[in-house]
Amino acid sequence: MPPYDEWNKIDDEEDEELLDDSLFEGKRDVILFCIDCSESMLELRDDPNYEDVKTCHLFTALEAAMQIQKRKIVVGPNDSIGIMLFNTTRKSENGRREVSELKRNTFVFQPISLLSAPKVQELIQILDAARENPNELRDTFPPLPGKRVPMGDVFTSCNWVLRDGAPKTAIKRIFLITDEDNPHPGQGSKQLITSARTTLDDLIQTGVSVEPFFISTDDKPFDVSRFYSSILVPTNLDEDEESAGSSVLPESISISRVEDLLDQMRIHEVPKRALFSVPLQLGEGFSIGVKGYGLVTEQKKGSYKYFVDLGDRMEVATSRTAYVDEEHQADVEKTKLVFGVEQGASKTGDEEEEEESGLGFGVKLAQVDQRPFYTAEEVRSFRTLGLEPGIRLLGFKDRDELKFGDNIKHSQFIYPDEMTYSGSKRTFSALLKSMTTKKKIGLALALTRRNATPIFCALLPQQEERVDENDLVDPPGLHVIPLPFADDIRAAPIEEAFRASDDLKDAARAWIDKLSVKNGTYPPDSYPNPALAYHNAQLQASAFREEFDPDSFEDLTEPNIGMIHKRAGVLMKEWKLALLNDDTANVVVPITGSKRKADSSVDEAEIRSKYEAGNLGKLRVDQLKDFLKAKSEPISGKKADLIERVTAWLDSH
Amino acid sequence: MPAERAGYTVTMFLVDTSPPMGTLKTVELPGPDGETISKTMTHLEYVLQFAKLKIQEMIFNGRKTDQCGVITFGSEESDNMVHHKNGGYDNVEEYISIAQPNASTLTQLDELRPTKYMGDAIDALIVGIETQAHYLQSKKTWTRKIVLLTNAECPIEVEDWEAIVKKMDDLDISLTIIGIDFDDEELPFTEPNKTVHKRVNEEFYHTLTKSMKQGVTGNCTFALQEIARPDINVVRSTLMGSILRLGDVDTRAEEAIEILVKTSKCTAMTRPKSWKKYALREDESGQAIVLGSGKSGQSQIAYAPLKMRTEYYVDRSGDQGTDADVDVKMEDDDGTNLLDDETKSKDDTEEKKEESLEKVEKEELVRGFKYGATYVPCPEGQFPRLQTKKGIDILGFFPSKNLRREYLMGEVQFIWADPSSPQQQVALSSIVQAMYEKGSVAIARWVSKDGMDAKLGVLYPEVFDKVECLLWAQMPFADDLRRYTFASLVKLISKSGEEITKHPYIPIESQQAAMDNFVDSMDLMAAGEKDEEGNRMPWFNPADSYNPSIHRIKQAMFHCAIVSDVTSNPLPPPHPELLKYFHPPKKVIKRAKAAIENCKAEFKVKEVPKRVIKGGSAVKKGHEHATMEDDDMLLLDRKLESPARTRASGVTSPMKVDSGPQLMSPSKGKGKAKALNQDDSETEDEEDEDFVTVHHPNKDEDENLLLSKAANKSPATPEPSSRRGGPLPTPARSPSPQIDPGRAPGRIIGSTYPLKDFQKNLSQGDVVTKAVADLSEVITEIVMKPFASRRHKEMIECMHTLRDTCLTEDEIDAWNAFLPDLKEKCLQTPGNPEFWSEVKALGRDISLISNKEARKYGGAASVSERRAEEFVA
Repeated sequence: MPPYDEWNKIDDEEDEELLDDSLFEGKRDVILFCIDCSESMLELRDDPNYEDVKTCHLFTALEAAMQIQKRKIVVGPNDSIGIMLFNTTRKSENGRREVSELKRNTFVFQPISLLSAPKVQELIQILDAARENPNELRDTFPPLPGKRVPMGDVFTSCNWVLRDGAPKTAIKRIFLITDEDNPHPGQGSKQLITSARTTLDDLIQTGVSVEPFFISTDDKPFDVSRFYSSILVPTNLDEDEESAGSSVLPESISISRVEDLLDQMRIHEVPKRALFSVPLQLGEGFSIGVKGYGLVTEQKKGSYKYFVDLGDRMEVATSRTAYVDEEHQADVEKTKLVFGVEQGASKTGDEEEEEESGLGFGVKLAQVDQRPFYTAEEVRSFRTLGLEPGIRLLGFKDRDELKFGDNIKHSQFIYPDEMTYSGSKRTFSALLKSMTTKKKIGLALALTRRNATPIFCALLPQQEERVDENDLVDPPGLHVIPLPFADDIRAAPIEEAFRASDDLKDAARAWIDKLSVKNGTYPPDSYPNPALAYHNAQLQASAFREEFDPDSFEDLTEPNIGMIHKRAGVLMKEWKLALLNDDTANVVVPITGSKRKADSSVDEAEIRSKYEAGNLGKLRVDQLKDFLKAKSEPISGKKADLIERVTAWLDSH
Repeated sequence: MPAERAGYTVTMFLVDTSPPMGTLKTVELPGPDGETISKTMTHLEYVLQFAKLKIQEMIFNGRKTDQCGVITFGSEESDNMVHHKNGGYDNVEEYISIAQPNASTLTQLDELRPTKYMGDAIDALIVGIETQAHYLQSKKTWTRKIVLLTNAECPIEVEDWEAIVKKMDDLDISLTIIGIDFDDEELPFTEPNKTVHKRVNEEFYHTLTKSMKQGVTGNCTFALQEIARPDINVVRSTLMGSILRLGDVDTRAEEAIEILVKTSKCTAMTRPKSWKKYALREDESGQAIVLGSGKSGQSQIAYAPLKMRTEYYVDRSGDQGTDADVDVKMEDDDGTNLLDDETKSKDDTEEKKEESLEKVEKEELVRGFKYGATYVPCPEGQFPRLQTKKGIDILGFFPSKNLRREYLMGEVQFIWADPSSPQQQVALSSIVQAMYEKGSVAIARWVSKDGMDAKLGVLYPEVFDKVECLLWAQMPFADDLRRYTFASLVKLISKSGEEITKHPYIPIESQQAAMDNFVDSMDLMAAGEKDEEGNRMPWFNPADSYNPSIHRIKQAMFHCAIVSDVTSNPLPPPHPELLKYFHPPKKVIKRAKAAIENCKAEFKVKEVPKRVIKGGSAVKKGHEHATMEDDDMLLLDRKLESPARTRASGVTSPMKVDSGPQLMSPSKGKGKAKALNQDDSETEDEEDEDFVTVHHPNKDEDENLLLSKAANKSPATPEPSSRRGGPLPTPARSPSPQIDPGRAPGRIIGSTYPLKDFQKNLSQGDVVTKAVADLSEVITEIVMKPFASRRHKEMIECMHTLRDTCLTEDEIDAWNAFLPDLKEKCLQTPGNPEFWSEVKALGRDISLISNKEARKYGGAASVSERRAEEFVA
């Protein structure tokens, strides 16, 4: 395989398609886990998964944090994570000066810093120790007896921790994990609430958002309205709740059972980022604001980087692309680029004026007042056809007009944006409802960014769907599905073939009926990308300086062969028999193609007998190739390679 | 329709240059803005356009096997191979020999002029056939095309034409005759006063081409129209072998199913061809280099083709934290990075960065991955891959109605049964039919080659007229899905946990009715063309939708290849075919008019005016990058409103308190809280008016602020700080007073007597770095203030001292970073261009510190002497 950086190089006028994924790569994400360490969080409970194992909420929270760290470290190597505990009497060592300003009974376990292998390992070690000895966590982080730290102090400490460690342009988030819905009951609560709200407000103003994960249990259900709704609501950084802010709860509160904590965090793992924000024009003079998100995007393996050995450490080399006039060996500023076409293949012969003028190959001469090439701005207008970013609705069509084959790239998702056009939400909501009831899709012309190319797309409505009160499984919005252009559609290369009889079809139907998947649809969550996981496992092992054990790796995307045979094996066999007895199956097609020599082919039985006799070498190369071709095997290489491949095939069949 | 084999073609252009070709013709051309321009040209010029466009297309495609030659008839010379061999065939010239065309081919065509000699088209045709046949002697499989361009005014000897037809048919030649003003029913066009010659010739041409296997005669105007129509490059997909499997083929072969299949692309993204980049050759002062060596003695300028070169840099300082912000790519940038101003600021950033970086050769680099901050070596560039086996494994089936269409990830593939095996065809056919009948699709795992990464996707049954196949589309893995949370649109929960049913976000009944009406009126299901039975079909079909970018760019490329100046001869508007789906059909617009008006009245959507925030804060370098995620921005914008309102009521209120970027860097964070506490105010009060560390959102407000300040003459009123992307506020303090008018928090250099402070600090010893950094900041700040002019002199003095210190104290990089920054800020709007010109006037002595200079003092710098000179030029 050639290294992929060579074709990874993006030319900025061509990159708009690729941008989707790389758009935010440079963005850093900072998460501060802010975990309650009170008595109830440390209370030992039976582990739901393992018998005779004790666990506690804190353990689960830390484990979730560790899992998030492990995930983050491979998807966003530039992201930072920190862990702070509150309601603990543990004091920071003097060595860590940055925590000197921390409020009492809050403790920074891991300050915010770039993720690294030692950091993850530190957490893994403490978790391992806690698994051995259930009291380990209580000893390491003794809970504050009898009282609680004011939440205002907790937020203040968070602020300090973020200040010390977070790069200023990063997206900063606090994952607040607690099981206490009313930290400040009784006297003085009002004041404490006010202070919590003010300190939280400070955080929000600096661009920090708080994403609470509340743990709810049967004997201790979590009621947001007791404390948190009064402090979170007006401040929680979210979307555009400007007018509704005072009356509506923020959406990103998650209350879950402790077992679901990690799943909940997974959902919030990547900060929500809009890819574009454009007007959606429904008619002349009738536009609303929408934001676009990428909900389905291929997660690729991280690409390798180039490092320089500086002796004491390895440093990443940054690359920079320059445009050079080779003849003059001078870099040209980007602003001075002009755009044209190749001057055609070089002429064989010496009559070229350019050559004799000694200016070098491909140089275009022009008269002083003439400009033979386009400017960047002109080139952009050719690409966009003068359109401004936006989505223009062209009309509505029936749902079934959107064919399976009309697909070219992944979809995006749009959701109304009240901040650019007021009234967007109600309009969008009504549109969504209309389209769903009438089973319609929208057809639209979209240019989502200034430098993109216009595309036609289908707008597929999605009504919101929830499993329970808090879980919005499918958010409301429109899927923007890019349609292929005529230029992208390939003709079917085969127009005619033999077709099955009804009997054979029924025989196939019999086993198809038996092989339905469990939940009746494609379950993406059951299929982690094996190649990616395999890569990441090796990366992690290498970073931890552990040996990677390929055998321990399980590929969840492999078919469940046992089940297939158990359910449908017999029927499949029957179908195969029916196929063998089918009349049409025994027709021999006259082989077309001019190059093929008459009757040089040998049948499979003959090859197999040669193979068994060890005489494959007696076959000619073209015979071997014909055989391999028929088996969809590669036909490249020398005769020895071909024989090897034929042998391999016959071995396995 | 199987696609023609691309390339492997020789096209002969036979061009009539006889005297009648000099006839003038007035043509209407579309101008760039849709207007028509009348232009007069000769018949020859007119008909040559066709040849030029055809040849340009060959140049565009750049295939070595796409060649052409040009033969003229009516030429002065009789220079052709048949004449040389057998004599006769006079006035036919092999003008351009067969080769791959290039730009000079077009130039040569432009040089053709009508002659005084009559030429015979049939002679030219024979010469063309012979020349082509001779050239293709050893390349029998190539496609042969002949294009004859004429106005048919010259007499032709038509005897033996049947023999020519036979010869051309034998050689599989296709002949296209392009005639000027030929009668054409389709166009429609009938030439009045047609000459007898022409009438006879025209008829003959029609007879000739009709009796051939591949011949066509057409009107030139029509041909030119057709050639401008977007044309799809038909690509024949290759069939790739694979195996469709179900079950365990290794151990339970008697049950397991294996079908030999071929896959081919059903959709494949086509992208516009990329532009070649050029730059005007300039001398060192940025003036175009003028060459006097033009053909006509005219002076010329040269555009040089550019090559891309990737260079690698490493930051040896290890100061990861501070340069971190530089390479952060903002959402805002990417869309606009072709625009000049954006690019400029970006380049400047790069320049700055470059100075602290060191170039390294690619050979010195090793490959590896980043695991967070940990380096993981991996010289091969990838780890061993998971073992996989080529083929398409079926995992199970599910009803197609449960297929989430939005999950389809990319291009679609066909899966066909092996075309050479009827048994395999029947096998696949039975499965496809069964799936189709049941309404099922299959989940399958696709491995394109042994050892390649597996993909998961869906197999969808497709039943054509005479064949069945499966379609494949990739589906997302768990890793590929993002589950962002979005607020419900229908269910709003109040603070007290109750559901709200009436809210401005929830449409009321009349609004819903208006929308329903709108959706109905905008229906496209019967807005298209009529089918054979006269029923209207749906409007829009992907198979008719051309990619406008591809064809527009192609048109632009053709255009600039054949014109010499794109300013005076701009690109004509795009072909209407490209824009036909850009707006809803007229009928629909008309029908929906009332519904749209009703919706407008019901929903009352209003555009929210954009807030002025960017301009003000962009002044500070750090803040340029603070155009963060729009979500936060919006929220913060909102927050900023209240202080703004307060200001209107006359209270002095600094909108943004900036404590200087050095505070932000974590590495220097020591004791900054203390610094904030420090009270420097005694010295500052009287300096207040021109010296608040405040960034003003715009000029008007500036003035307000200043006026009210002047009136008050009192220290600024405390105000909660609102920052964006800036340092976090001191938790315990805000909202609390934070005004520091003179010596900014954490700074050791004040703004009142910066030079004094600086010198004092230097004499004390070891805080040089800090002092240099602070003085740089202070200078920039003062220069950027309103009414800074009265301190220009002082600032220049400061700069001299600063530069000397930098040079002697090995703070060269600091100076070389400071100066471009200052320049950039001065030249911005609002800026201080006067100050920069004052600096520039000082010349080389105040410019960047070059490496040469630095070495004198034992230092090093990444700036060349030349750059230092240019910088103040």
